[in-house]
Amino acid sequence: MKINVNGKQVEIKDDAKNIMEALREIGIEIPNLCYLSETSVYGACRMCLVEVDGKEIVTSCTLAPREGMSIRTHTPKIYEMRKGILQLLLASHDGDCTTCEMNGKCKLQRYARDFGLTTNRFATVSKKTITDNSSIIVRDNAKCILCGDCVRACEELQTVSAIDFAYRGFDTQVVPSFEEKIENTECVFCGQCVAYCPTGALAIRNDVDKVYKAIEDGKYVIGMIAPAVRASLQEEFGLEDDIAMAGRMVSVLKMIGFKKVFDVAFSADLVAYEEAHEFLERLEKNERLPQFTSCCPGWVKFAEQYYPEYVPHLSSVKSPQMALGAVIKKYYAKEIGVAEDIILVSVMPCTAKKFEAEREEFNGDVDIVLTTRELVKVFKSTGMDIKMVEPEPFDRPFGLSSQSGLSFGKTGGVLGSVIEVIADKAAVKNVNTKQISEGTNLTEIELENGRIVRGIAVFGLGNVRKVVDKLKNGELQADVVEVMACNYGCIGGGGQPYPNDVRTRARRASILRETQSVDVLISPTENFHMRQLYEKYFGAPLSHEAHETLHTEYKHRRRIQQEEIDILPLPTDDEEKIEISVCLGTSCYTKGSYEILEKLIALSNNEEWAKNLEIKGTFCLENCGKAPNVLINDRIVGEATIEKIKEVALSEIREKQGDTEISKSNL
Amino acid sequence: MLTRSFDKVEDILEKYGYRKEMLIKILLEIQHEYRHIPREVVNYIGVALGIPPAKIYGVITFYSQFSLNPKGEYTIMICDGTACHMEGSMNLVKVIEEEIGIRPGEVTQDLKFSLDKVGCLGACALAPAMVINGEVYGKLTPDKVREILRNIKERKAE
Repeated sequence: MKINVNGKQVEIKDDAKNIMEALREIGIEIPNLCYLSETSVYGACRMCLVEVDGKEIVTSCTLAPREGMSIRTHTPKIYEMRKGILQLLLASHDGDCTTCEMNGKCKLQRYARDFGLTTNRFATVSKKTITDNSSIIVRDNAKCILCGDCVRACEELQTVSAIDFAYRGFDTQVVPSFEEKIENTECVFCGQCVAYCPTGALAIRNDVDKVYKAIEDGKYVIGMIAPAVRASLQEEFGLEDDIAMAGRMVSVLKMIGFKKVFDVAFSADLVAYEEAHEFLERLEKNERLPQFTSCCPGWVKFAEQYYPEYVPHLSSVKSPQMALGAVIKKYYAKEIGVAEDIILVSVMPCTAKKFEAEREEFNGDVDIVLTTRELVKVFKSTGMDIKMVEPEPFDRPFGLSSQSGLSFGKTGGVLGSVIEVIADKAAVKNVNTKQISEGTNLTEIELENGRIVRGIAVFGLGNVRKVVDKLKNGELQADVVEVMACNYGCIGGGGQPYPNDVRTRARRASILRETQSVDVLISPTENFHMRQLYEKYFGAPLSHEAHETLHTEYKHRRRIQQEEIDILPLPTDDEEKIEISVCLGTSCYTKGSYEILEKLIALSNNEEWAKNLEIKGTFCLENCGKAPNVLINDRIVGEATIEKIKEVALSEIREKQGDTEISKSNL
Repeated sequence: MLTRSFDKVEDILEKYGYRKEMLIKILLEIQHEYRHIPREVVNYIGVALGIPPAKIYGVITFYSQFSLNPKGEYTIMICDGTACHMEGSMNLVKVIEEEIGIRPGEVTQDLKFSLDKVGCLGACALAPAMVINGEVYGKLTPDKVREILRNIKERKAE
């Protein structure tokens, strides 16, 4: 399609979504504050005004391209209008740039500079706004311009909707329900809201000072760096062609006081290896399929909240971060004899990794998590010219990695690595990958024996929700599903440098592919140091020791927190105790949960085996469609009957005791 | 007691067939039932309708019709639109304040009365006007307002 732009004929794509996108392709980035190409068009900031056919002035984000139309992008009138908009925004903005996390990266700040706004014709009005720095994601609404990018990212891309606009007119603010602290909401800490916030209203908790303190205190500071970090660092420092970036990172960290720097890609090999065996075992027994990957902590929390029935399907292997954390704290600390003094710092592209490290399941194995952006700050504050820093290899033994381990940083990487390991174990005849829907790839692996294993790799929680729903209703079949919460995987993580849009993410993926392609090891099975870890400590994959160190378990997490009521509490902290919580929410109550409760109490009074049942009343397990619901330890039993409960409780006891005597004598 | 008080909410949800698009109707009925919209109910209907609580909170805080704090048994809406304002509605607010001891946005301690100042009741011809529990009182004077409020108070005493 031909259109006229600023007096010149130009060719634009016929299928361009709008004039803003069309002009972007030909090198004109129309100023904008509320446009996200991945979400619906909002058209609220009014910065992207253009003049059409010499008459009307309209927003280019909402303007459909039309053959022969004439666009002017920068007339004196438009210039004045944009200036006015910026002045209005700045009049109610706190303007505290030097202490802002976004200083130097802020779009509002940039436009204020580009439009020469040294004075404001409007008087400053202060707003009553909320700040929330209770968790990893820090919100300061005094810096919010109400563009709604965070709201749309959370709702449309991730389908979480932990935040939304509240109040009206000048009082409007973006907040969680009832202005709750973000840590108490359904937020999964993917940080996509932070990635898309054009100002400093949303930021990530900065933990850099903790690292300096640990060095100052003489701790044995060990660093570990995730695969996706090196790609975005290359881009941040304008060193796209520099495949030695990882080595330069190691050097700088050593210079500022890190004792050792390891590669999380090593641990990715380890996780892929263990997870592939876990998958093969499940495949053989035909249980808990499809197996979902659990490397992504945003997805894990998402599953715990919205798909409790699939929690047992999550791979029980820890994420690379937590697995390496456990290995270092448990074995390596002893090997080098500095157990207490180790402070383990991991550098991640991800905001949710900070949350993961603080989960109680992992007893603080990883002490501090820095995001890529924080690492960039550390590097820049040293004043070193990264180009001139001589690279150094990662420390041994956790420094070696295969192409597979490195590929964990982007979508498809985990699945690909698992396939590599399977190929080593079982004869694979054919592997075929195709895209089946947005952000979703299906890989069919044909084994020598004719069996076809179906693997899905999906990114973006909105796409994930669609895939999981289809798996649930049988529209889609899979044996293994790789899930990454952020678009394009970890390279698009909430902790990555700005800009963090589609174009940048695609570029990062290709940088990572290049970095990966020069690695001489292809499959995790070729990782010598990883295999040595098995020889020294684990014996074999899925061994008892491997389970102790590398595996964990996840549990159903409710979005709505409410106290439980003890009905038949047990006095001791008996290991054989089985916790049964009967839901007494309205939906379950009307479907007879109270009768179930009475029967249960009778059961525990009358039958010998049921003595160890601890009975509780709980409110809303958020599974109302299958009322009445009962929670047995961490398993939800929907459409519960007393017989069903008995069966599950007995199998729990069996699992705990590892013998079948009780069940036989009682059933 | 192990039962919960969501039976009424469940009835209302049922009445509207658990339909998302009926949110405002549902909220209005809930407000009528509880005289405000309790937080637990927001979470409850959020789960029941599949609407994130943050979104429902946005709707509730957008419309001044909804309240997150309990209203009185008698909700007084005094109009302060242009016509009523010109006819001295602010003076009436003062009278109400004297009579029941609360200011706009507040509730009496016994939860008997709550007072809100609203933009326009659409009864400009009756200015100055107020609405108590859906009943419109027009062409008000300070004395009339005192009388109305005293009558309501006595109704309780009887």
